[in-house]
Amino acid sequence: MCAAISAQEKLQAAMQHKIVPNQEYLLQGSVLDSSKDVLIHRLRGLADNVDEQVETFQDRERVLTLGPVSGQTLTLYVRQAMDVRPGMDQSDTPWTMRYIGQPELGDKSRPTVLRNSIDVGCTPNVLEFLSEMGFKQDYEFMCKGLMFRKGRMKILVYKVYKNKTADNWEPLSMSHVVELSVLAPQGHDAVAEDVRNFAEQLKPLVQLEKTDYRRL
Amino acid sequence: MPVRPKRGLMMPLSMSENLARLAAKIDWSRSDGEEDGDEAAPSSAEGDGDADSQVTTFQQPTWPWESVRNKIRDAYTEVCVLSDVLSIARHKRYMVLDGVTQDAPEPKQIIQVISKKKGLAAAAQILSEGAERMRENLAEQRRNRNNNDFYTELLRLRQKWRLRKVGNNIIGDLSYKQVGSRFWLSGTFEVKKAEENAPALPPPAPGLPPVPPSPIIVTVPSELQGAAFIYVTIRKDQETLCSARLTHPGSTPLPVPQSQHWSDRLDAAQNVLFCKELIAQLAREAVQLQPRLPHMVIGNEITSTIFPGIHLVMGLAHSARPERRPAAAPLPPVPAGPLGDNNYVLEHSLHQLLRHMHHRNMHHAMPHPASAPMGMSKRRRQAGPGAASRGQLLKMVESETLLESIIRQARHVVLRMRTAFAIDSCAREIKDPLIVTHWNSVNSPTQSCCKVNIMTHGYDSVHRTTFLINVLEDSLRCVCRDGRVMTVSYETSELHYIILCQVSQHNLLAAQSLGRIMGWTVKSSSSGQGGGGGGGSDASQTAQSGGGGAASSSCVLSAPGGHCYVAVRCQPHGEPVTVSVAQSPKRDFFPTALVTEHKWEHLGGAFRQIKWEKMEGRNFLNKMELLMANLSSGTGSIM
Repeated sequence: MCAAISAQEKLQAAMQHKIVPNQEYLLQGSVLDSSKDVLIHRLRGLADNVDEQVETFQDRERVLTLGPVSGQTLTLYVRQAMDVRPGMDQSDTPWTMRYIGQPELGDKSRPTVLRNSIDVGCTPNVLEFLSEMGFKQDYEFMCKGLMFRKGRMKILVYKVYKNKTADNWEPLSMSHVVELSVLAPQGHDAVAEDVRNFAEQLKPLVQLEKTDYRRL
Repeated sequence: MPVRPKRGLMMPLSMSENLARLAAKIDWSRSDGEEDGDEAAPSSAEGDGDADSQVTTFQQPTWPWESVRNKIRDAYTEVCVLSDVLSIARHKRYMVLDGVTQDAPEPKQIIQVISKKKGLAAAAQILSEGAERMRENLAEQRRNRNNNDFYTELLRLRQKWRLRKVGNNIIGDLSYKQVGSRFWLSGTFEVKKAEENAPALPPPAPGLPPVPPSPIIVTVPSELQGAAFIYVTIRKDQETLCSARLTHPGSTPLPVPQSQHWSDRLDAAQNVLFCKELIAQLAREAVQLQPRLPHMVIGNEITSTIFPGIHLVMGLAHSARPERRPAAAPLPPVPAGPLGDNNYVLEHSLHQLLRHMHHRNMHHAMPHPASAPMGMSKRRRQAGPGAASRGQLLKMVESETLLESIIRQARHVVLRMRTAFAIDSCAREIKDPLIVTHWNSVNSPTQSCCKVNIMTHGYDSVHRTTFLINVLEDSLRCVCRDGRVMTVSYETSELHYIILCQVSQHNLLAAQSLGRIMGWTVKSSSSGQGGGGGGGSDASQTAQSGGGGAASSSCVLSAPGGHCYVAVRCQPHGEPVTVSVAQSPKRDFFPTALVTEHKWEHLGGAFRQIKWEKMEGRNFLNKMELLMANLSSGTGSIM
C-alpha cells in the first residue's frame, strides 16, 4: 500500500516537473559487413548482461509526413516489431510512433547529437488514423540487427533493407549501421560524456560521430 | 644551361603497323640454301640447255610476290603439320611425347651416407632446441610459483578482482554495483606494496610452517573490516523455536579469518558489504511498510511478529577486528540466544532475495521495436496502447518487498513445524488405526504438502483412509478423498480435531468393508450425526461442528443369516467406539400378560452395548472381526 502511494506521488511529480525523458543523445557510425563480427564480439564484452543471449530485433519503419502546413512539414516515424518470438503474440508488442525534432549538433564541446524525441506506444491502427488525418507515407524500410545496453545507453547494430515490391526486402548497402543513444530528460548533459567515452572504446573498429543530415 | 632533350609522345603501334614493321624485316629476295641446291642439281643433271633454260625461265617469278607467297605457304604447311602433331600428341592415343631418359649417374655410397647423416643431424638439432625451450619454460614456471614478488601477486589479484589505476594508486572495487546493487557504501580497496622486512605472520594453525609475508598489502575500508553474517531466528516469546543448527567441524557462529592473505580479507569484506546492504534494505522496508503490528528496528536488529506470540528476529552480526585476537587464544564458546540458533535456510533465502533484487535492477526486457525507450517491463509498454487504468498502473509498480517475502517464508516454516508436530503427537496418542505421513520432498518456500494415510494394522487391504494436507503460509488446506476441502487456520487444535474425525470415519468405513467381506450386509449407515444420536448413551457430548467435520457416525450391520444386528458408532470425542448387538431370537423373552406366545421371541431383541475394553482382539477391526465371526455362526452367545 505504501509503495502504491509513493508511486502515485512519483507519477504526479513527473508530470509536473517535466522529468519525462524526451531528449535523445545520439552518435552514429557504420561498419562493413565483413568486420561486423569483430564489432559484435567487442560489444558483447563491453555491454551489460554478458550471461544472456544477444538480443536480435527486426523492425519495420514507415515514415509519414504531413505538410506543408504553414510552410512546415511534420514527420512521424511509425515502427513495428516484425520478429515473432516463441511465447509472444504479434499483438503483444505494441507499435511505436515517434516524433524526432531537429538535431542540434552544437560545437566541439558537445560530444553527441542532441535531439528532441517523443515516443508513444500505439495500437496497429495508427497507420489508418494518421492517413485519415492527412499523413502520406514517404518511404519505409526494415532494419534487422542486434541490440545491446550498457547502463542507460542503447547500442544498435543493424542492416537496412528496402523493398521495391511488397515483402521483397533487399539490403541497401554492404554495411551495418551502428547507433549509440541515450534517452534522458532535459538538462542531463553529463550522459553525453558517458556516450562519448563508450564510443572511444569502439574507436578502431567503428568511428561513431555526429552526422549532419543536411550535409549528406 | 642544360639542353632538355625533346620528348615526343608516341602512340603504341596498331596491329597492321606492327605487321608492316615485321614484314619489312624479312628479306624476301634471299632464297634459302636447300632450294638453291635443288634448283642447281636438276639443272646440272639434265645438262639440257633449252629445256633447262625453259624450266629455269618457268621458275622465274612471274609476279614479284611469288617467292614470298611460296615461302609463306611452306611456312603455313610446316605450322599445320606442327599443330597436327601437337594435337595428336595431346590426345595421347596414337602418339605420346616422352622425355628422353638420361642415364642415371652412378651412385656413390659414401656420399649418400654423408648426406643422410647431415639431414638427421639438422632434424635432431631442431628437436633438441625445442625441448630445451620447453624445459626452460617449465623451470621458470616452477620458480615463479614460489616466487612471491609484487608483480606476480598483483597478476593473481587482478585475475579475481577488478582493479584500476588512479594516479599513482591502484584502486579495486569489491561492491556489487556492476550487477545491479544501488547501495550507497562504496566498496573500494587500495592495493599497496609491502615493505621489504615485514615480519612473518603467525601460522594459521599450529603445526604448519609460518606463511611468508605477502608482498601485497590490501587496505579495506574500515567499515568493511572483519566478518559478518545475518542471523535469522524465530522466537516464541522468550525461547527459540527454530533450533535447527547445522554444525560443520571447526565453525563458530562468527567465522574468524585468521589469515592475513588478501583473498580471504577481500572475500570477508565483500560479505560484510552484502550483509550491510541486506540489513539496510530490510530496515528501510520495515520502516516504510505499515502493517497492523509494526516491526521493531533496534540498531542492527529487526523484530517482527509473524504469529501472535511468535517473533522473527533478523540481525547483522559483525565482529570488527578479528586480527587483534592472538592466534593462540581459544575460540569463544557458542553464544546462546539469537546467535546460537541461526536458521540457515532463511538466511540463505534472504541472500537469494537480495540477489534477485539486484538482478531485477539490471535485467529489464529489451524494447521491441528497438526505438522504444528502455527500462520498462513488457506490461508497462502495453499499458499505453492497452488503455490501462490508473489502478492497473499502480498495481504494476507494486512488488513484494524483501521483508514481506521473508516474513511469509518464516510463517510457513513455523506452520510446517507445528503441523508436523501436531500430526506426530496424534500418531503417538492414537495407536489403534495407524497414522502414516509422507511429506513431499519438493516444496516451495511458502507451500508444502503432506499425505496422511490412516490404516489398521493387519487390515490395510480392507480399508485405508488418505487425505492431503497443504501447508500454506498461515492456513492449512485438507483435501479428503470424498472431495471435501477444508481450510483451517493456524491453530493446531483445529488440525487435531480434523485428524480425530478422519480416524473415527476410518474406523466406521473399515468396519463396513470388513462386514461386507465377511458376508454381513450394511443395513444403514450415517455420518454427520449430531451428538447424542444413534444407539447411544451420552447426550452430554456435544459434537463440535467446526471445520465441517462429521461428528459421530454410525452404521448397522446385519448377519448373513439375518438373526443378528450389530450397531457401531464412532465419534472423535468422548467414547471413540460404541458397539451394540441385537439378537433374535430374544434371549430374554419371557411371556408376560400382554405377550403370551413364544413366537414373539423371534422379533429382534433390544440392542445391548458391548464392553468393548473387555473384548478380545488386538485392535478395533480385529475385535469387530472376532465379534462378527462369533455372531454369524449362529450358536455363539456373547452374554
